[in-house]
Amino acid sequence: MADTTTPNATSGSWALEARGLGKRYRRGWALRDCSFRIPAGRICGLVGPNGAGKSTLLGLATRQVQPTTGELRVFGVPVDDPAVMPTFAFLGQDKPLFKRFTVADTLRMGAELNPGWDAAAATRIVRSGNVPLHAKIGTLSGGQRTRVAFALAFGKRPDLLLLDEPMSDLDPLARDEMSTLLMAEAVERGTTVVMSSHMLTELEDMCDYLLVVSEGRIRMAGDADALVPAHTLVTGVSRDGSLPPELDHHTVVETRLQGRQFQAMIRPRGPLPAGWESAEPSLEEVLLAHLRSPDAPSLYTQGARVEAEGNQAA
Amino acid sequence: MSTTLTEKSVEPGTGRSLLRGMPWLVVRQHRVALACVLGLTLLTALWIVYERHELVQLLDAKGWPENDASRSMDNNRGYDYITGIINGFPLILAVFIGAPLIAGDQENGTAQLVTTQSASRLQWLIAKLGLAYSLALVSGVVLSALFTWWWKPHRSLFLSDWIDGVIFDNTGPVLPALLLFLTAAGITIGTLVRRVLPAMVITFLFTAVTTLFVWDEIRVRLGSPKMFTYPLDSELPAARFDDAYEADRWVGSADGTLYGWGTCAEATEKAQNACIKEHGIVNNVIEYIGYNQMAGMQWLGAGILLAGTALLTAVTLWQVSRRPL
Repeated sequence: MADTTTPNATSGSWALEARGLGKRYRRGWALRDCSFRIPAGRICGLVGPNGAGKSTLLGLATRQVQPTTGELRVFGVPVDDPAVMPTFAFLGQDKPLFKRFTVADTLRMGAELNPGWDAAAATRIVRSGNVPLHAKIGTLSGGQRTRVAFALAFGKRPDLLLLDEPMSDLDPLARDEMSTLLMAEAVERGTTVVMSSHMLTELEDMCDYLLVVSEGRIRMAGDADALVPAHTLVTGVSRDGSLPPELDHHTVVETRLQGRQFQAMIRPRGPLPAGWESAEPSLEEVLLAHLRSPDAPSLYTQGARVEAEGNQAA
Repeated sequence: MSTTLTEKSVEPGTGRSLLRGMPWLVVRQHRVALACVLGLTLLTALWIVYERHELVQLLDAKGWPENDASRSMDNNRGYDYITGIINGFPLILAVFIGAPLIAGDQENGTAQLVTTQSASRLQWLIAKLGLAYSLALVSGVVLSALFTWWWKPHRSLFLSDWIDGVIFDNTGPVLPALLLFLTAAGITIGTLVRRVLPAMVITFLFTAVTTLFVWDEIRVRLGSPKMFTYPLDSELPAARFDDAYEADRWVGSADGTLYGWGTCAEATEKAQNACIKEHGIVNNVIEYIGYNQMAGMQWLGAGILLAGTALLTAVTLWQVSRRPL
């Protein structure tokens, strides 16, 4: 497993820290037994199929949803403590804004409701997109509206920015513009970003940390740079149409039989047989393999795992 | 007005506005509704002042109260319109202010927007409820005070009795309490339904049923009816009961047994007399609520409505604090 830069166990250096976190709705568990850490200062992608629990997780982190079990800390502070409110900003999936407010009213709302409001930064973000301050929100294009929502989020000067599929409804041009803006602002201030997304390419470009959720459980958590090299894509000859027993020595994520050949996504736990061809998979291949096989053992890189008792796993 | 905004208005602390923080937000968000309700209140208030002035002039000319002026309020169109508007206030406040107050933000996602800023959900809710309740209270107190001021000195001239909804509900503490209660009902329905249009429809039905049927039943039960007994062959001393609301009418025998008013309503006088004799009926009895009970009944009614308001507010607070917005 690759050695990665993760902070020490002092809790302030973890932007998010979940222990046994779970949320049950009337129809069942949306999120269950989630224990993970996201270090401060990273851009973390939250990946998973629809209904996997991504929005619930973001809802828990933004105090919209109350957990059924476990606890969640934001920079070491329990999420139910009102003191966490100024530390994060949230951008929901449909970026709700008051449609009858002007852009100036919207920024004023940011100023009125947030003690550490950075009016200069918010105005700069709006201006750089040529969004007129006196225009009503309802008359703006999707891209412009997203820009105002970003301005509101960054004007709050958050240490943690939570985004629920921020780019999903934007055209490619606006998406590119917003990604650039997001990266520039986040890097400049060292903001931790957690963004859920369906766009695997978007994640590959922007995120250096990953949290993969499926069926309400954490499948993978850790450095993008460490998660991918932990996997190997092997191809070999099958025996009588079944998988070779040598595979059992490794952690198998996904297998596929094709005629006399087999292909498997594994996490090797020792040398591979000489007859197998191995290749390093792409991030996309690793993610898809995990999402297709929800029963595969989950993977945490160093530091990403939190035991329920609170001890850091080896 | 938005075109006159300068860049400076973006900076906090430079605004001339008295309102800050959450109160600023809710007033800005609901300013059109606020202006409409306050404007309607003001117009109605001015109209009442004008009508009262007209009435006083007319009565002075007639030399009231020494001379008879009993037909002064007949065919008074102004009175009809004003009471129509005041009776519409519960509906306006409940359906157009109460129902969309929280439901609108839940539907548009702006509840999420506001509660993920640095202010807590409770602060937001307090500002919202504060706005709606203040509006209900201001309209209710202003209109009720002026209407009472118009009606009370001249009540003998008004065609409606004090127990009628148009007087009882629009004077004293009842109107503000009724407006508060129905506004709270609209807010609670909106919070539970979470969608604006269905919430408005349900609130409309609730308000209509409450004001038209339920409250009518409650109103007459707020007082404690008294009995007055007088001999069968004498007239009711009418002057004494001019102001009283007659709840029921009976006939009674010497030992105090009461029979329904129509017990001996027979086709022929002979049969009627026989019936009276048979039951031993000697008295007429009326059951009435005197005008002197009105103030007490109004405060009792207002108390019930305010208790209901408190209950509905608690439900709203509980709902919003435990469910995701």
